[in-house]
Amino acid sequence: MLRNYLLTAWKVFMRRKLFTAINLGCIVLTLVVLMVITALLDTAFWPSGVERRSERFLQVYGIRSQSADHHEVNTSLMGYKSVDKYLKPLGRLDGVERVSAITTTNAVSVYQGDRVSQLELRRVDADYWKIMDFKLLAGRLPNEDDDRMGRLVAVVNATTARRLFPGGDAVRQAVGQTISVGGQRFQIVGVVGDAMQINAYADMWAPLTSFPSTNYQNELTGQFAALILAHSPADLPRIQREVERVAKTYVPEDPKTYPITTFWADSKLDVVARALLERHDYADSGATRLLAMIGAGMLVFMLLPALNLVNLNMGRIMERSSEIGVRKAFGATSMQLAGQLVVENIVLCLAGGLLGLACARLVLWWLEASQLIPYLEVNINLEVFGAGMLIALVFGLLSGLIPAWKMSRLDPVHALKGAA
Amino acid sequence: MIRLNKVSKTYRTDKIETLALKDIDLRIERGEFVAMMGPSGCGKSTLLNLIGLLDRPGSGSVEIDGAAIASYRDKDVARLRNSTFGFVFQSFHLIPDLRVIDNVELPLLYRSMAAGERRALAREALERVGLGARMDHYPNQLSGGQQQRVAIARAIVGKPQVLLADEPTGNLDSKMGAEVMDILLKLNAEGTTVVMVTHDEQEARRVGRIVRVFDGQLVSEGHLHAA
Repeated sequence: MLRNYLLTAWKVFMRRKLFTAINLGCIVLTLVVLMVITALLDTAFWPSGVERRSERFLQVYGIRSQSADHHEVNTSLMGYKSVDKYLKPLGRLDGVERVSAITTTNAVSVYQGDRVSQLELRRVDADYWKIMDFKLLAGRLPNEDDDRMGRLVAVVNATTARRLFPGGDAVRQAVGQTISVGGQRFQIVGVVGDAMQINAYADMWAPLTSFPSTNYQNELTGQFAALILAHSPADLPRIQREVERVAKTYVPEDPKTYPITTFWADSKLDVVARALLERHDYADSGATRLLAMIGAGMLVFMLLPALNLVNLNMGRIMERSSEIGVRKAFGATSMQLAGQLVVENIVLCLAGGLLGLACARLVLWWLEASQLIPYLEVNINLEVFGAGMLIALVFGLLSGLIPAWKMSRLDPVHALKGAA
Repeated sequence: MIRLNKVSKTYRTDKIETLALKDIDLRIERGEFVAMMGPSGCGKSTLLNLIGLLDRPGSGSVEIDGAAIASYRDKDVARLRNSTFGFVFQSFHLIPDLRVIDNVELPLLYRSMAAGERRALAREALERVGLGARMDHYPNQLSGGQQQRVAIARAIVGKPQVLLADEPTGNLDSKMGAEVMDILLKLNAEGTTVVMVTHDEQEARRVGRIVRVFDGQLVSEGHLHAA
């Protein structure tokens, strides 16, 4: 029966090529937008690339201190002292593999003779390189010795290497070179692949101990964050509870004004959800709600073209009322007929899905090349492909069910007269 | 086999009410060939649709093999249509996008039957109507008479007990019409009950029984000897 459905569907599509093309165009356009969004979300939140271990690491970014009556609120990034005093000790907990202190990126000027380049610098400790999974292209990564000795060593990414040392094999030539950054001379010891993920993004990395002064070690708030790597994803809830407990013991600089302090150990999705939904006071970041909102948004986005497709499908049904009448006369039930149109529509939508995937890949290549998002590299992997096809399926169902339902209710006598 | 008891049918629109059939009592026995005659709009096709369970009566009852159909659900009626009736329409109603063999296979799609068996039965039905060589053609590649023979093959492929033909020769010239009539008579001779709507008195005289309808009522019935 399926063969007959598919055969009929193919013939119907081919009979009205313009109609099919309009249908497909509508489907492809919708799906491209949704698939590009899905691919970007997948790259941002799914454990992959440099952050392939993100399924078992947590981030602590902000500290939120409040007055007793909750009227005065002070939100800031962590200082090194907060990470060192409250979070680094968690490294001794069962289930915690390591804790890393990192800064956010800072714009710095790099001087090479009379040439000045603006780079984004992130300072990190040696543990950072064991939590992230950078692809080392040349040289080595900084280690504990570099931290301990306060060596002025740096790692740059491939694009920065090419920018700083144009021509020839820049990646290899960069290793061993010295660059001047804010009056300090850093030796480049390694070159890594480009990465855009939230904790990985930077042009250049240097050890924490390369700060010109040690003042940062006394600051409770500042420009730091902590990454906590667990042994397994199952350890994460326990670590999150422990961080929540530690936050309650936190003593801010002005405990009288701000006696209440909270900070959370969040997954990447939690970080975004907490910020977007302003869930700073709750252990639950609202990630589930955010995902539901994204899903609902996608459905709403699909709804308008789906309604358009419903309209086009209704026209197609009216045109085929004689066929529907014949099928009913020869024993097709309403459900079987509804199934037939839904199958036809899903076939069209899945074909649109495949075309959409190809177009989405082109759009993503353009996005990568345009550098609108620095170092963007998006792969349409199996998960994205599966999500794309699922979106196509949902779209097919959305736009096929109403016409199918209407078709299944056609009276065979009227349908045979073509007066549906 | 088929029994209509006091069957009436009224079509309603917002403003107009049309009585299509009124208090029809009709009994059709297994193996009969019944011709239904009457002027256009008298209710013949409505009667045929009620017999074939394509429509439901406004009042009265339709019984097939002693079972009243009124209480049947949509899927039960569909199953009964599939197993008991075959339809031949005046304008053939072949699906233009499907090949002849796929058109003929159509009733079997709604039965639990393997594809190979379906194909074999469809081929056999086409050979019975003399179109074994046209299986891979599309309907628009055939003449009107050939299309109607395909429609007959589709109607008989499921070996129905009753063949319902609504003016099967109405769109054909006399030679093709005669060929189609010959096939219907042969099928009846082999045991299939045939109920045919026709305007053609000559055709009607070739069958066993004529039912005349006028203004939605049966006005006469007569048994004839087959020609």
